[in-house]
Amino acid sequence: MSIATFILRRLGSLLLVLLVTSFLVFGLMYLAPGSPLLFVLGPRGGTPEQVAQVTAQYHLDDPFFVRYFAWLADVFRGDLGDSIVYRQSVTDLLGSRISTTVALISLAMIIIVVIGVSLGLIASLRGGWIDQVITTLSTLGLATPTFVIGVALISLFSVGLGWFPTNGSGSGGFDTIVHLTLPAIALAVASSAYLSRITRASILEENGREHVQTAVARGLRPRIVVARHVLRNALIPITTVIGLTVATLIAGAVVIESVFAVDGLGSLLVRAILQRDFALVQAVILVLVVAFVVINAIVDFLYTIIDPRIQLGSKQ
Amino acid sequence: MSQRTIAVVGAVAVAALVLTSCSGGGGTASGNNQLDVDLSNLATTTEPGTAPIDEVTWNLPYEPLSIDPMLSFNYAENTVDANLCDSLLRLNPDLTTGPGLAESVDMPDDTTVVYSIRNDVSFWDGTPLTAADVVYSLARQSGEHNGDSYFGEYLTSVESVEQTGEHEVTVHLSEPDALFNQAMATAAGAIVSQAFAESAGPAFGTPQGGLMCTGPFSLESWSAGKSIVLAKNPNYWDESLIPKAEKLSFTFIADETTAVNALRAGDVDGQYFYLPPTGLNQLQGDSGATTTFGKSFVYFTLAGANQEGPFANPTIRQALLLAIDRQAIADVVFQGAAAPAPTLAGPDFWGDQAAIYEPAFAEFDVASDPEEAKRLIEGLPEAGETITIAVQGSSAVHEQTANLIQAAGESIGLKIETKVIPVEQYGNMYYDPAAREGIDAFFTTWYGNVTDPLDVYAVFTTDGASNFGNYTGVNDAVAEARATLDDEARAQLTVDIQQQVTEELPWLPLTYMPPILVQSDRISGATASIAYLYYPWAATIGGVE
Repeated sequence: MSIATFILRRLGSLLLVLLVTSFLVFGLMYLAPGSPLLFVLGPRGGTPEQVAQVTAQYHLDDPFFVRYFAWLADVFRGDLGDSIVYRQSVTDLLGSRISTTVALISLAMIIIVVIGVSLGLIASLRGGWIDQVITTLSTLGLATPTFVIGVALISLFSVGLGWFPTNGSGSGGFDTIVHLTLPAIALAVASSAYLSRITRASILEENGREHVQTAVARGLRPRIVVARHVLRNALIPITTVIGLTVATLIAGAVVIESVFAVDGLGSLLVRAILQRDFALVQAVILVLVVAFVVINAIVDFLYTIIDPRIQLGSKQ
Repeated sequence: MSQRTIAVVGAVAVAALVLTSCSGGGGTASGNNQLDVDLSNLATTTEPGTAPIDEVTWNLPYEPLSIDPMLSFNYAENTVDANLCDSLLRLNPDLTTGPGLAESVDMPDDTTVVYSIRNDVSFWDGTPLTAADVVYSLARQSGEHNGDSYFGEYLTSVESVEQTGEHEVTVHLSEPDALFNQAMATAAGAIVSQAFAESAGPAFGTPQGGLMCTGPFSLESWSAGKSIVLAKNPNYWDESLIPKAEKLSFTFIADETTAVNALRAGDVDGQYFYLPPTGLNQLQGDSGATTTFGKSFVYFTLAGANQEGPFANPTIRQALLLAIDRQAIADVVFQGAAAPAPTLAGPDFWGDQAAIYEPAFAEFDVASDPEEAKRLIEGLPEAGETITIAVQGSSAVHEQTANLIQAAGESIGLKIETKVIPVEQYGNMYYDPAAREGIDAFFTTWYGNVTDPLDVYAVFTTDGASNFGNYTGVNDAVAEARATLDDEARAQLTVDIQQQVTEELPWLPLTYMPPILVQSDRISGATASIAYLYYPWAATIGGVE
């Protein structure tokens, strides 16, 4: 399959997924109890006239399909709508937060790939007690909930040692990196542990393969054996896991952004759901779905680079 | 006409969501987490900081929805607005009321209020404050616009507002109203720039629309989700309140643990808490911060929600309150940072009428007497019915109090059930009668706004918007007191109202809650009392040398 067909196909399925997701999200939000009125009118509500006025203004009484299709039509015109609660356009609200979350997740990914792959390599190639220690550590990392790690990191490195700030996303550049370091570490722990496990297992598996044994028998230097024969083949499962990890990171960011009071998409989504802010919830979820689908496509594409025998878009 | 006060609870969904219950519940929480509070000696101010300071970072429990003062009826909103917008009158830290943008108030007759506006005041953009701005600010909340304002119920008797001199504004009332003028010391009396508000339109008070007022700080920026930054107004008309801090930045950390940690680490210089957060005793023990408990208009109450059912019978309510150990609620649930409440309005509401209120207040106590309670309900048919109390999901304070009350009811033979309402729906209790169906009572953290106990009891008017159980016993008396402008005479009338309300208990008084002010050791000077909602509490903050 050519790259153009691949992209076209992916775009088509992306649109389909988006349509289904938006319908589901809209339906679930519609069915869930509670109303944005509370947040629009303030905690004490308001007079019956105020309630009626806001209900009319935001079409809160319209039937489900009328509301859904009105929203859909707006999106096709490029208008994500206005947040009821914040009284500003959803596009404005998303703007700055997307970059914060992208920065957070990228930072976490770097940590995961570097730590995860190197720990897995060390464990599988060295073996012995080092393997034991790394395996134990990764079990611990997998078992500890993200928010517990977050709180522990804050207590130790922010409150205790004062090395990092306790909250916020900084004012850009290096300041942002400093602010996002602890959240990224908290986010990365479980996935690094998982990735080190996968790396270790696939390297051990490749090590036992015939062609590797042959290479060793031919007297090739161990470094070349690992690089050419072991790692290359082990990269397929590792890449798959890395791709999937990004998806779990998006979910993990929701929690960690609250713990560190980082103004990213995750904390925005939580608040929007609580406040029944339909347009905002839809927009954030659509952004996440797009991110997910795009990352999957990139992973598929990487397969063909790692192993040219795999065809673009192949189901194997 | 009922007072519109705030319930913390449903309001602050996000903040409350993180109030995840962490204590043993059911009265089993140990008392050794007690905070160090002297409730008999609550503060009004803190030692003013002496040194100039570049920037003060303050945390809000959640991000304001709007900073238009007319829509600012809640904790975070008012915490910000109090520094931005001056009102006609000013609620001082000691809870007295003094002149604000109006240097004097004159009442030629009972329904005419004349405000003399200061002539030396400018908005932040340099345009002078005019009588027309005052007329505009009051008119946008009264008459046909009365329903637009969250403070509308203080302005229901306003018939017209007109400019009667270059620096004079006259308000005509349809009937005498003691609460109207007092409310001009709250955000209800805040004055905004007419030109600015009209050109901003519906965006006024939002991150895009901005704000234009006369306060000691000006609005520099509001980046949604991130921060609100105020800048010192060096030309502030009240020279004693020109800020010592160049900048005041607000963060919105909703997670309690994160907020406490940010204070401990010094990333945030201060915060007002309205409920004692877990970890406060840790903060109190820390040398890095100072905790101050202030005089308060806040009380925690179990509000009757229905005109029918067992809880609609006053005898049942009396018996239940007699069975409840309010001291235990204050000690266990509030970690000692609250006082048991004999009446709804506490001593901080009395103002200069303490001589009248104090003896009346002393007639009530908080002692529990289960035997007497049992005797009261003996043979009552309602005693066999189940009382349903709504509890806000994920609020430890609600759950623990409900457990204590359930046990108290059981001990005298009253069957009490709790119904957990998700935090995002809890606010519906306040304005949607359908949400109150099947509910007999619910908890609320209510606060008054003016130094007058009548402000508390004015809720109980027939069909009043916040009179959830539609208790009608004091309707006429409240109307009479509200129309009585003589302070002493009104206090006498209010004492009678208080007597009746405390006997018939449409709402059960549980505790009085002081605001909890935490300041890092780097700074000092924030207002400690509940006046921080309306008084420029940050203007006196300075560095500690």
